[in-house]
Amino acid sequence: MSIIQLHVNGKRYSVDVDGDMPLLWALRDVLGLKGTKFGCGIAQCGACTVHLDGRAVRSCAVDVGVACLSKITTIEGLSLDGSHPCQKAWVELGVPQCGYCQPGQIMSAAALLAEHKKANTKVTDDDIDNAMSGNICRCGTYPRIRKAIQELAEEGAS
Amino acid sequence: MSGIVRVSRRDFLRYTGVGAGALVFGANVSSAGSLFLAVAKTVGKVYRHRFPLNNFVSIQLDGTVVIVSHRSEMGQGIRSSLAAVLADELGADWSRVRVEQADADASKFAVQNPFAVPGSTPVTTLDATPPFLIPEEGAQFTDSSRSMAAYFLPMRLFGAGIRLVLIRAAAKKLGGDVGDYETKEHKVRNKVSGRTLDFVDLLLLAKKVPLPTYQESLAALKQPKEWNFIGKKMPFVDAPDMVRGKAVYGADVDLPGMLTAMIERCPVANGEVKSFDDTAARKVPGVVDVVLVRLPMTVPAGGVGAGFLPHAGVAVVAKNSWAALQGRRKLKVEWDLGPNVAYDSNTFREKLEQATSQPGKTVRHRGSEDEVDAAFALPNRVVEASYYVPHLAQAPMEPPVAIALYKGGRWEIWAPSQGPQILQQYVGLAMLHPNPLEWLAWGEPDVFDLPAYEFVDNRSFREGLRRALGWDEAAELKFRRDLKKEIEEKVKVHVTLLGGGFGRKSKPDYAIEAAFLAKKFPGVPIRVQWTREDDIQFSYFQACSLQYLKAALDLDGHATAWLQRSAFPSFFATLFPPPDPRLPEAVRELFTQARALTHNGGEYPYLSAIERGQGLEDMPFDVPHLRLENCPADSHIRCGWMRSVSNIYHAFAIGSFADELAIAAGRDSKDYLLDLIGEGKVLDLKAEGVEHFDNNGFPVVPRGEPVKVMSSYPPDTRRLRAVVERAAQEAGWDEKVKRYKDTGRGLGIAAHRSFLSYVAMVIDVSVNDMNELTIHEVHAAIDCGVAVNPDRIVAQMEGGIVYGLSLALHGEITVKDGAVEQHNFDDYPVLRLYQTPKINIHIILHDLEKLPPDDPRTQPTGVGEPPVPPVAPALANAIVAAGGPRIRELPMWESWETNTGELPKVKVL
Repeated sequence: MSIIQLHVNGKRYSVDVDGDMPLLWALRDVLGLKGTKFGCGIAQCGACTVHLDGRAVRSCAVDVGVACLSKITTIEGLSLDGSHPCQKAWVELGVPQCGYCQPGQIMSAAALLAEHKKANTKVTDDDIDNAMSGNICRCGTYPRIRKAIQELAEEGAS
Repeated sequence: MSGIVRVSRRDFLRYTGVGAGALVFGANVSSAGSLFLAVAKTVGKVYRHRFPLNNFVSIQLDGTVVIVSHRSEMGQGIRSSLAAVLADELGADWSRVRVEQADADASKFAVQNPFAVPGSTPVTTLDATPPFLIPEEGAQFTDSSRSMAAYFLPMRLFGAGIRLVLIRAAAKKLGGDVGDYETKEHKVRNKVSGRTLDFVDLLLLAKKVPLPTYQESLAALKQPKEWNFIGKKMPFVDAPDMVRGKAVYGADVDLPGMLTAMIERCPVANGEVKSFDDTAARKVPGVVDVVLVRLPMTVPAGGVGAGFLPHAGVAVVAKNSWAALQGRRKLKVEWDLGPNVAYDSNTFREKLEQATSQPGKTVRHRGSEDEVDAAFALPNRVVEASYYVPHLAQAPMEPPVAIALYKGGRWEIWAPSQGPQILQQYVGLAMLHPNPLEWLAWGEPDVFDLPAYEFVDNRSFREGLRRALGWDEAAELKFRRDLKKEIEEKVKVHVTLLGGGFGRKSKPDYAIEAAFLAKKFPGVPIRVQWTREDDIQFSYFQACSLQYLKAALDLDGHATAWLQRSAFPSFFATLFPPPDPRLPEAVRELFTQARALTHNGGEYPYLSAIERGQGLEDMPFDVPHLRLENCPADSHIRCGWMRSVSNIYHAFAIGSFADELAIAAGRDSKDYLLDLIGEGKVLDLKAEGVEHFDNNGFPVVPRGEPVKVMSSYPPDTRRLRAVVERAAQEAGWDEKVKRYKDTGRGLGIAAHRSFLSYVAMVIDVSVNDMNELTIHEVHAAIDCGVAVNPDRIVAQMEGGIVYGLSLALHGEITVKDGAVEQHNFDDYPVLRLYQTPKINIHIILHDLEKLPPDDPRTQPTGVGEPPVPPVAPALANAIVAAGGPRIRELPMWESWETNTGELPKVKVL
């Protein structure tokens, strides 16, 4: 066990855990940030997706010892009030069903849109396929996820 | 007694056996009913306002209408949709409606069926006496796509009844005739004077006016054209929390001092822990204890899974999930694997093939046995084929998880559960009554205010039970009375949101594990967290199935005879396991009898009425000679049910075979399917030898007064025909079939009735020289009667099609040496976004004003499961139309390789 500094959603936290604890469990069990979900534990499903310095990563496959080197954003830090364009589009289009995978889906989508906004490039369907195919949804909300991202890309949202 | 009454809990119990025609609004304000109290804190004072409370709705002091969802939310949107139905009849302003989730409480949510006719012949389980709208384990059991079908009318009656109360209060205050009043947007308005009062202004007065009778509420129901929410796109109330990460699922419940347990379970069903070494596990930092998980059952129930009891295992209890997981990995456990170690799903498939090669039990026949056989003997063309579906796991995104706190002899449990009452009862029985013989008393209506399992009414069964337990009648009565009190007092269950259910979370094994461990740590909340590997390996699996079909075609290609043999292990082998051979014969007989009597559970190893009724007995085709058989299949793993259940096998086989016949006859697949269905009619299954058609627990034949408002729901192939025509038309079938001919592109079609709804589907695919399968588009049509919340219906259809594509393309659980060979989403793949085609949903809308009130189409029917069954056959048929191989076994991915020597590359445009 050692003291590790984590920079999450603009706040600094000291956690006393093994450096090889996956970030997922540090977020959920130690910091009490429950928006990031456990789905598979082997980076197959994307339910635990968070941003490390703006990039979408699977927090079940990143050790806290590595994550401490980056600024971490979780679904709780994406916006304070649900006002991120992805969150708004997700509600308006009725994307969620059980909703369990959606924080991860939104984190993947938000990173994709932000990346393209920064590079000022168009989001193609192939881009959506590539960015979103690491996120499983058993309820099958994929058609609406695609639609939400397409609409946000049209609007030039990030 | 008749009419809506305010009753105490005790009175409620007294009344439930009485008064057909009475709609009981149980006003339970005395006990654990805090959910139903409008509580407002003002100036340090707590006012408890109890307004016309029934258990489903209350109005708070600020006027907020709080509607209780007694059904579990697992993505189907039921919390939103049922609330919208009640709020519509009430005339509420949607922005002033809040939905709360109910705890497990059978007494509150078993709604007496106001439509039952005394003395009527029981037709289905719904007619059980005393009558309830929902039979089985209680009104909260969220399964079989029947929340809306069963609660549409009760919710409307509750809303209309309370609207009448508010109107009466307003009339008292403002004068005038109650007939001059209406409610709209949370206000009661006098249509003559134009004066209005907000609901909030009427609360105190409303307590003083008489409650409407059932008949008055019924007469006050709005006409469909007056609906404001029903039939419209309504907001999904949980979505804003979900997208912010604020929605609370099972694993998100956080209690002070909570410990997390991970359990290493015996890989084989009904195995035991022989010994274990926890030395290394205990050294992992954060590990608090290691505990053997073994329930103290005094009588071996035998069979597979022993009801919903968990697998034996060893739990590592730790300060957090990661420590528990690491500790678990360091355990060394030796298992006594037991007899099920011999189970191998590949060998079992051969057994199913053998079973279907011989005649089984006939479950339905059109024409005598001789006539059916004679039809095959004629010089007709005979086509035959077998279809195989492997075991499947539900794999909801949220793996099973439950939290239990044990203190002072009582349990408090938090869990994502489809069946909170089942969970409560199972925890109570497993922890407090280790004699499974006592469990056979649990379905008694006096115990849980529920209709009896059929065996309860069987005198010889009850006598046998008393003998086996050494009870006299007084002891039996006392046991039942005390058991109800005991379990309701000692086990409290809170329902969280479910991160998917799909049937997995109707089984409470994970909560029993939590309750068991919590007892070892009094005062400490224990969370049992399953991993994905646990979820895949210890599912209640969808049984594997083999279907053998044979048809005779005349010279014009018309089918003249149809033989179908259905074989798969029944989930009743898990619910009511075949008794352990070590038990005395009299006791064994009791277990066997209990199964046979329950929902016509059939005899081991044959199917229950529920399973036979899911697409086998109601096989829709209008073939002159017909024989449907059930062949035996024993069970060696825990079989349960998965979204759409036995319909999966039957729809895949029947839908594929119809297409094979069309091809054999040289006909267009859609036209041939319509010919098989014929002009359409209500199927008279009874006349064709079906003793007990389950029909998802709903009536098949109409009943007399005062039933009018509640329909019977017979299988009606006219409605099946209509969805086929609609899907084909929307997909541009005729034009595309011509255009696609010999181009490597093709359309497939299939249709199926399940959960009282009718769905047809056209799938458009390409198969090219590169061995690539491209799924372009799906058009699906659904007839689910009244489309209550169209946006959620479309969502369920989209999701159900994705679920169906997952199982058709990829889904396969195999078992070797009694243990499941798959582990996680890497070896049990499910559909991903890039593989998902464009999906178009078409809802059949009925002109409700023109339909007679007892027409089934005036009521809503299932939506969550019906989209799944037609997917696999429509896809298989499309692949053939596009020049690909005929796939008769799932998953298609591997069958394709068997057929072509090469795995397909699936891509989606």
